[in-house]
Amino acid sequence: MNWFVFRNNTVERFFPKGYAFSGYEDVSAIPADADGYVWFYQAPLGADRAALVEVIRGYGEKFRFVLEQVAPGKPFVVLTMTDAYDVPLTEDDHSLAVAVAAYNAGVYEAGERCPQVKVVDFNEFARNYPASELLDWKFFFISQMGLNPRLTKDFQAWWNRKLDSIALRRKKCLVLDLDNTIWGGVLGEDGISGIRIGGDYPGKAFLFFQEALLALSRSGVILAVCSKNNEADVLEAWEKNPYLVLRKEHFAAWRINWNDKAANLRELADELNIGLDSFVFLDDNPAERELIRQLLPMVAVPDFPAQPYELPAFFRQCVADYFKVYSVTEEDRQKVAQYKANAARSRAQQRFSDLASFLESLDIRITIAGADAFNIPRIAQMTQKTNQFNLTTKRYADTDIQRFVAEGWRVWCLRAEDRFGDNGITGVILIDGDAIDSLLLSCRILGKGIEQAFLKAVLARLKDEGVKTVRARYCPTAKNAQVRDFYERCGFACVAEEPDGEKTYKLDLDSADLEIEKYYQIIWG
Amino acid sequence: MEEKVLEILKAVFELETVGPDCSQETCEKWDSLGQLNLVVELEDAFGISLEPEEIAAMQSFQDIIRILKAKL
Repeated sequence: MNWFVFRNNTVERFFPKGYAFSGYEDVSAIPADADGYVWFYQAPLGADRAALVEVIRGYGEKFRFVLEQVAPGKPFVVLTMTDAYDVPLTEDDHSLAVAVAAYNAGVYEAGERCPQVKVVDFNEFARNYPASELLDWKFFFISQMGLNPRLTKDFQAWWNRKLDSIALRRKKCLVLDLDNTIWGGVLGEDGISGIRIGGDYPGKAFLFFQEALLALSRSGVILAVCSKNNEADVLEAWEKNPYLVLRKEHFAAWRINWNDKAANLRELADELNIGLDSFVFLDDNPAERELIRQLLPMVAVPDFPAQPYELPAFFRQCVADYFKVYSVTEEDRQKVAQYKANAARSRAQQRFSDLASFLESLDIRITIAGADAFNIPRIAQMTQKTNQFNLTTKRYADTDIQRFVAEGWRVWCLRAEDRFGDNGITGVILIDGDAIDSLLLSCRILGKGIEQAFLKAVLARLKDEGVKTVRARYCPTAKNAQVRDFYERCGFACVAEEPDGEKTYKLDLDSADLEIEKYYQIIWG
Repeated sequence: MEEKVLEILKAVFELETVGPDCSQETCEKWDSLGQLNLVVELEDAFGISLEPEEIAAMQSFQDIIRILKAKL
């Protein structure tokens, strides 16, 4: 990413290599070759307050001027203004604070109006430092630095987190210990009514923490439990202790047993189908934290506060370090429900001795629909994002899909539901005449044989429409090894294999086995 | 002290080799921004605060050594 920074002070030190900078207060040129823009105007420093107010107003106008000219599709990250030297001579002089507030109001307003504008609160960084540390007047006078050059490392770390949050990168899953982590005391010793939650301190502090974790889960972070306890005791506590905020329904998965926690975390990752590098692990026991750090270094393991009254500050730090995103979409909120449903499926699977009876119990419904104005964006998005179960990995834009439909291709998408939930559109097949151009499925729905049922249903439809032979290809990538033999497993004959692993197939539809197990309900939509 | 200053010059100005003849004249990256970075590193490394007059006078390796010796 080539960022271009509009600025009024010397800020080069604070940004990583590769950033370009305007002249001081210079908005005469807006370089078109930048991938994104940053607006970082700091409050002017001086003693003539009327003049400062005018300067700040001028900055607001410059900002609006630039905003009108930057290309609409490019990100424009705007930092708010914090007054660094506000010295009113009378108590009733709030002019500088008012001017800064008006400037910031303009910035927030732009953020609400323009999707490209991402507002970053500079005060979130600045308030961590006393005024004497935030600004070093020596460096202001000799180098026009409005921020102490010694804060470079801190600022860069903060800035990188902000870019992550704008890119919607964050940890996905928070794994919690129970005893002395989300409640006080030890359930196995103190009993269901003896653990400390709500009421007096320390219960009050743990209640605060549980309410904070609940808010986090509502923003799309998945909560899970990993605790050395008797599962039956915990289930009973979730059901019967009236003061607990977090209960069974808030956790997507749990491992409550006496096994080692590294093994449990691995199992949770499998069950939820989330990489361990997306996990954050909270445990009051330093030995458990050390075990995870040693055995699973990709898991984030923050130190846990020694005293319950430190939990609010700890929560704030966790949000800042791992979970803050620029905004949360409806899809994020639903994601929690989907992961929960996946975990429920996975637990259900353990109860069945054979896969067939498990699949039968799921009431799987596969709806196959042609492309239309509503699903084309999703079809294109899936071709862009799907890596593992993707036979040819061709990336298409929605305009490509529209063209294929106009050219007479068969474009179908798959929607999979079962009794645990609706996964939405999670499969796509594109067929050009008698050749399968693309076939891909979301990893979320794998493991239930849906991929074969989908393909067979489509092939049966082609046969009905008079197609005799179907051609297909597999193109290897770094990520799609799991489908190397998919067409073989579906009865296709491999007619050619290139040295790079690319394979070409044929299937004669008259002799092909197109029977689908009865427990898949196929609906043509 | 000389060794340490050379190390700092090398790191701040991203030089492959550095010697006692290093100065604003010979070193491409030793501009005003470079000066600022250099000052912060020198202050941290030697635990001192350089005065603006000293900073302005610091235009070569020899200048730095002379100023540091007077302060330490």
